[in-house]
Amino acid sequence: MESEKRNKKIQSTMKSSRKYAKGKSNFIFENKSCVEDVGRYLEKGAECLKSKSDTHADESPALQRDEGDGESVPEMAVEDTYPASSNMTCVSTVQRFHVNIELDIMAVMLFLAGLATRMYRLEEPRSIVFDELHYGKYVSLYMKRTFFFDSHPPFGKQLIAAVAYLAGFDGQFKFDRIGSSYSETVPLFALRLVPAVCGSLIIPTTYHLMLELGLTQWTAALAGFLLLCDNAMLAQSRFILMESMLLLFALFGLLCILKFRRYHYHPYCLQWWLWLSLGAASLTCALCVKYVGFFSCCLGASVVGRDCWRLLSDRRLSDGAILCQLLTRLLVLTAIPTAIYLTIFYIHLAVLSRAGPHDSVMTSAFQASLEGGLASITRGQPLEIAHGSQITLRHSHGRTCWLHSHAHVYPIRYPDKRGSSHQQQVTCYSFKDVNNWWIVKRPQRNDLVVSQPVDAIRHGDVIQLVHGMTSRALNSHDVAAAMSPQNQEVSCYIDYNVSMPAQNLWRVDIINRDQVGDIWHTIESLVRLVHVNSSQALKFSGRQLPDWGFNQHEVVTDRILHQDDTVWNVEEHRYTKNEDQKDRERELVNAEMIPLRPTSLSFWEKFLELQYKMLFANQENVQNHMYSSEPLEWPFMARGIAYWVSPHSNAQVHLLGNLVVWLSGSVSLILYSILLTFYLIRRRRHCYDLTPDTWYRFVVVGEVLLLGFLFHYVPYFFVERTLFLHHYLPAFTFKVLLMAALVEHLHHVFCETLSWRLGLAVFKLLAGAWLVAVLVVFRRFSVLSYGTIPLSAADILRLRWRDSWDFILHRQ
Amino acid sequence: MENCQKINEVTKNVKKSRVGLEENKERNNQTYWWLVFGAVLLLTAWSRFHKVSEPDHVCWDETHFGKMGSWYINRTFFFDVHPPLGKMLIALSGYLTGYDGRFAFEKPGDKYEGVNYVGMRVFCTLLGACIVPFAFIIVWEMTHSLTASTLSASFILCDVGILTLTQYILLDPILLFFVMGSVLGMVKFHSCKDRAFSFSWWAWLVFTGIMIASAISVKFVGLFVVILVGTHTAADLWDVLGDLSKPISYTLRHFLARAVCLIFLPALLYVIFFYIHLVVLNRSGNGDGFYSSAFQSQLEGNSLYNASMPREVAYGAVITLKNHRTGGGYLHSHWHLYPEGVGARQQQVTTYTHKDDNNLFIVKKYNSELMDDDDDAVEIVKNGDLIRLEHVTTRRNIHSHKEMAPISKKHYQVTGYGENGTGDANDVWKVLIVDGKEDESVTTVSSKLKFIHYLQHCVLTSSGKQLPKWAYEQQEVSCNSNMRDKNALWNVEDNIFPKLPNVSFAVYAPSFLERFFESHAVMFQGNSGLKPKEGEVTSRPWQWPVNYRGQFFSGNSYRIYLLGNPVIWWGNLVFLAIFLIIFAYNSVREQRGYLDPPSVKESKHRVFSACGWLFLGWALHYVPFWAMGRVLYFHHYFPALLFSSMLTGIILNYMLDSISRLLPKRMANGMYHWFIGVIFSATVYSFYLFSPLAYGMSGPSASDPNSTMYGLRWIESWEF
Repeated sequence: MESEKRNKKIQSTMKSSRKYAKGKSNFIFENKSCVEDVGRYLEKGAECLKSKSDTHADESPALQRDEGDGESVPEMAVEDTYPASSNMTCVSTVQRFHVNIELDIMAVMLFLAGLATRMYRLEEPRSIVFDELHYGKYVSLYMKRTFFFDSHPPFGKQLIAAVAYLAGFDGQFKFDRIGSSYSETVPLFALRLVPAVCGSLIIPTTYHLMLELGLTQWTAALAGFLLLCDNAMLAQSRFILMESMLLLFALFGLLCILKFRRYHYHPYCLQWWLWLSLGAASLTCALCVKYVGFFSCCLGASVVGRDCWRLLSDRRLSDGAILCQLLTRLLVLTAIPTAIYLTIFYIHLAVLSRAGPHDSVMTSAFQASLEGGLASITRGQPLEIAHGSQITLRHSHGRTCWLHSHAHVYPIRYPDKRGSSHQQQVTCYSFKDVNNWWIVKRPQRNDLVVSQPVDAIRHGDVIQLVHGMTSRALNSHDVAAAMSPQNQEVSCYIDYNVSMPAQNLWRVDIINRDQVGDIWHTIESLVRLVHVNSSQALKFSGRQLPDWGFNQHEVVTDRILHQDDTVWNVEEHRYTKNEDQKDRERELVNAEMIPLRPTSLSFWEKFLELQYKMLFANQENVQNHMYSSEPLEWPFMARGIAYWVSPHSNAQVHLLGNLVVWLSGSVSLILYSILLTFYLIRRRRHCYDLTPDTWYRFVVVGEVLLLGFLFHYVPYFFVERTLFLHHYLPAFTFKVLLMAALVEHLHHVFCETLSWRLGLAVFKLLAGAWLVAVLVVFRRFSVLSYGTIPLSAADILRLRWRDSWDFILHRQ
Repeated sequence: MENCQKINEVTKNVKKSRVGLEENKERNNQTYWWLVFGAVLLLTAWSRFHKVSEPDHVCWDETHFGKMGSWYINRTFFFDVHPPLGKMLIALSGYLTGYDGRFAFEKPGDKYEGVNYVGMRVFCTLLGACIVPFAFIIVWEMTHSLTASTLSASFILCDVGILTLTQYILLDPILLFFVMGSVLGMVKFHSCKDRAFSFSWWAWLVFTGIMIASAISVKFVGLFVVILVGTHTAADLWDVLGDLSKPISYTLRHFLARAVCLIFLPALLYVIFFYIHLVVLNRSGNGDGFYSSAFQSQLEGNSLYNASMPREVAYGAVITLKNHRTGGGYLHSHWHLYPEGVGARQQQVTTYTHKDDNNLFIVKKYNSELMDDDDDAVEIVKNGDLIRLEHVTTRRNIHSHKEMAPISKKHYQVTGYGENGTGDANDVWKVLIVDGKEDESVTTVSSKLKFIHYLQHCVLTSSGKQLPKWAYEQQEVSCNSNMRDKNALWNVEDNIFPKLPNVSFAVYAPSFLERFFESHAVMFQGNSGLKPKEGEVTSRPWQWPVNYRGQFFSGNSYRIYLLGNPVIWWGNLVFLAIFLIIFAYNSVREQRGYLDPPSVKESKHRVFSACGWLFLGWALHYVPFWAMGRVLYFHHYFPALLFSSMLTGIILNYMLDSISRLLPKRMANGMYHWFIGVIFSATVYSFYLFSPLAYGMSGPSASDPNSTMYGLRWIESWEF
């Protein structure tokens, strides 16, 4: 009886499946045989199931393998090694077997469809599209092994660079501006290949993910189809951009974690280890493509965490066994990510060994460890700062500049009527200059020569700093600074005889003396110069002086010692040999250093510095970008992003999603929340509308997909940076999956719970119409995703369905 | 038989006496409770009102809030990022105690010299003092443990930071009062739950509603306590819903009662506070410039007040254009040229925030000069028309071309160009009315306008960035190719055109609701504009709980330094961690299925639910600051601190109880009292040590070894 019912169900799904598959073939596949394949396998599956349900519990694995095709064997091998232990799982294996055959054909079809859409005329447009400007540039720098600084982690760029390297890209192309065309030597196909393949792989991955959530293969295929037919996903996968990789790793990681879940009751088996570590690895990769991947990691962790919590309630296990399991998971989930993260950065730093344009972001030590650049200047400098050392002092963190002075004085009065000391200006100057040189002097000695043995300066010593070109000493006093009145002014002391004595003693605080020792070292020692009279530290204030200070940056002293802006280090250094002031000046002007010994930093030092800069560096913010958008606008797709426009015609690439998918996704999000609340309230009143099985599936979907959406969406409300529509894509993916799950749930409700024929029919009709609408809209807007077809102004205006969409039109 | 009766009687007697005993004990307990509560009240009053009038000069932010109080008394309009209730209360207290609103509150350190400031101080201190008894009652309602209540209250009582913060004319004592009031209402209401719909139930519900409305009307931080109360209410309703012995309509009634008292009533109160604010401040003041022309026309003394001018803008009219951005200026030009190297050397165009004859422009058609004067035909400017704007004084047209703007390098430069009104094709602008229909006429004040450069296709924008001295530090005007720039909106403010009849400005009078919403838009913009400048050291949230650095209230010879009592603050941190550990341990145990005896279980449940809510309160008042980009200050932590202190009291008491349960009875009793004694004396002694921070220090600073406070400088970053 029961088996009959099940057969019926399968037949009905088969019918709908044929319909659905045919509908699809009209648009994407010309290959009819493929569709028929599905049908055939379906029938096979049904037959198989029928025979199986007769024999019921003791099914033979051999039979399964007979029925399956070659591709599904490895999948089933997994099943074979773990014969079902209880009746319950047995039934599910039966169903899963049925699924397995479907799954591969369907997944392969989805993948092929994805490939076909993503790779179609991949090399067009043959010009720089949007952020290819950045990512392409980074890839070319990888080719040239030149160091660059980016606040995103490097894995995505490395993948693309690896493929580009194999394709023989030499990195010589200059990525100068969006829209300029690629030269013939650029293997554009190879550069765009990785994102496109990843973008296609996303679709079968979501398909499997949905199956793993306990949904039917048709729902899973629906989810895949919706992602396939989204224009934003398409456009984002076709160019050298990071999102498709990020999404693939995140979704695959989640899939692994869900597969891992299946072995909840079989800890420590091979699959258990495999899926757990694969999941951890893949999620870490997502993190290493963009830091947004962190939210995916959180989602994965929350799924594992929930399982752990359930595990606790299992009274059959002893405390020790549970502790052991928890610790193993914790170990795997920390060790693997750490290892991968470090490896990726190790490769990054090992490959990029040459000095390049972004050096100045890093500290002197880091720069000196790169080939060329600073290293060629500082090599062979004396190590220890001593009395008589000539040095340049660099502001270590944040903006690159050197302590500077010149023969100009502070204006007597500022515009706000405050007075100044009228002494020689001291600034922080962002360019190399002869006026950046200072001579270190002990207060009690009067000569300025380094004598043997070298009188090295140690932590805590009090020194004076004499400006090389003007021979005046660095001084500070209780006069409000020019731009930061709450701080003291710093000047080079001129004695006007106005009862304002020199206060030019500074105490050297070596901050990292634990690592580099008590003696002040070139480059490595980070020092804080504390003014002896006022106990305030020399600080770069971040403000720019007006014209009278040549727009250089202000230097002050500050009461608060412990801050990044009070940290300085010696960059260039040599010993003074000559006592005569004129000779010294000549020496300063003509000096050139001979490289002798390279500075080298360990991986750890470089890694930690790079991390610090990546996470805390003030990112330059593109304020008021024309196509930036707000998180609230995303669900309704109020704005797109113009990626590229052809210089000759109105052909253009514009990031814009499939409006039908986006809007219905948002609606389904709301609908799901309403239903969830409704069911919860009903259950609280002990009215159980759903069967436990349906309810469980409904909740699991919410736990993974709704949570996934929230994890990837809500944090953006607290982000200060300029945001773009493509930041929404991870959240969008989860939204689409939730929508597919909701469709199945509604179908189920109409079918089983309400058993309301008319409703079901209407629902099916609506769903069909909706799918057709998705396809139609996809096709209409695909011109904007591909950018290959020249459009007339009228065409563009016809596509402008919303006033807030700003397409680009050339004027006649 | 007799025996039986006797026995019965005896048992009855015994029972009676037992009941009597319990009653007696109850009464005893109650007197005891009142004694302790009274002591707390007395100590609070003494500690808070001690030296309340000192120092007799303006301290820290008193300069702002005192000033705003004066403005309320003088009824002059001003702008502030906080909602009005706190300042109105300060003003009211000042008004009632005879402060006349004359004192300038110019900067911290100004002597009061005969000004009646004590009333306002006493009022704020009074509200601040209420926090301690509130905490006592809250903890009592949550745990019914006298020890826990006393501990919690004493931690709050002995915290020097709270004492300092609540002794001055600031918003914080008022905010803290309402936050604690909301929590008090919440727990009181919760304990009435077995008497649903009784008078006290309604009373506490309404009380809670009033308190949350007031909290959020003092500072927007009050939103966190609203969320706390909201969550608590939702949990409460969930319990009601789960009671299957009651019909669903019962739940509905509960829901409606709460919706009315906790949503509608507070919303109404909030609007009423703003209504009072807008009605009281009816004179022009220094806040006018932040608001739109229509808003300003409501303020007595503003040049737009009772003004009258033509309703529509016609060709030939002399107009001024005001940028729609908050605090936006008037489009302005003057006889000076852009300096060498800044775009083309043509006449400067800027925005200027003051009224000036150089703000006047004539609207002309793009292709023709004006008709003769005697021609009566008046042509109105319509949406989409092509126009020129001619500067009245210099007779040059507003012009733009493909040169970089001086500051916003991606925009085009805007200049004044031409001789006697004749320029070139780059002077043509297209007028667009935002959300306007085709052929709609441009009206004074109410039309929001965009001016689109006809040839370059960019929009006239005021970036709000200040130009250097050569432009007299007026604000930059540029032409932006991003048509959606929010700074590209303008409205006509003055409109001089004799041929059209003048209409009174009253027609533009915005309704209360419009003014209400505009105030909010301006406040939010102001709030988000409070960004730290580059290089500025701001207080970071991680520094707060560890009491890393305080805040100077008063600098000179008589120094006040806002800093928490480190013993209490660090203790709070430790017990927060202990709570989390115990809580996690217990949840795991429960999940593992280990059961406690029912008596223990009940007390545990009570303690944990109390601590859970307090912890949520702490987290809600602390964690969001991590995500805030605006300038943060140390005193933002104090609401969270209150929750943390109460939690410490409860968890400490719980731990003492649990430990003494493990020990033999006699030892337990001794130990218990001994511990309590140590805790109280440590708290009080630390208060004694650090109280000079609040009551004022003189002499050398603590970094000097001669200072009395030298030994107390436990962390180098304390600067007292």
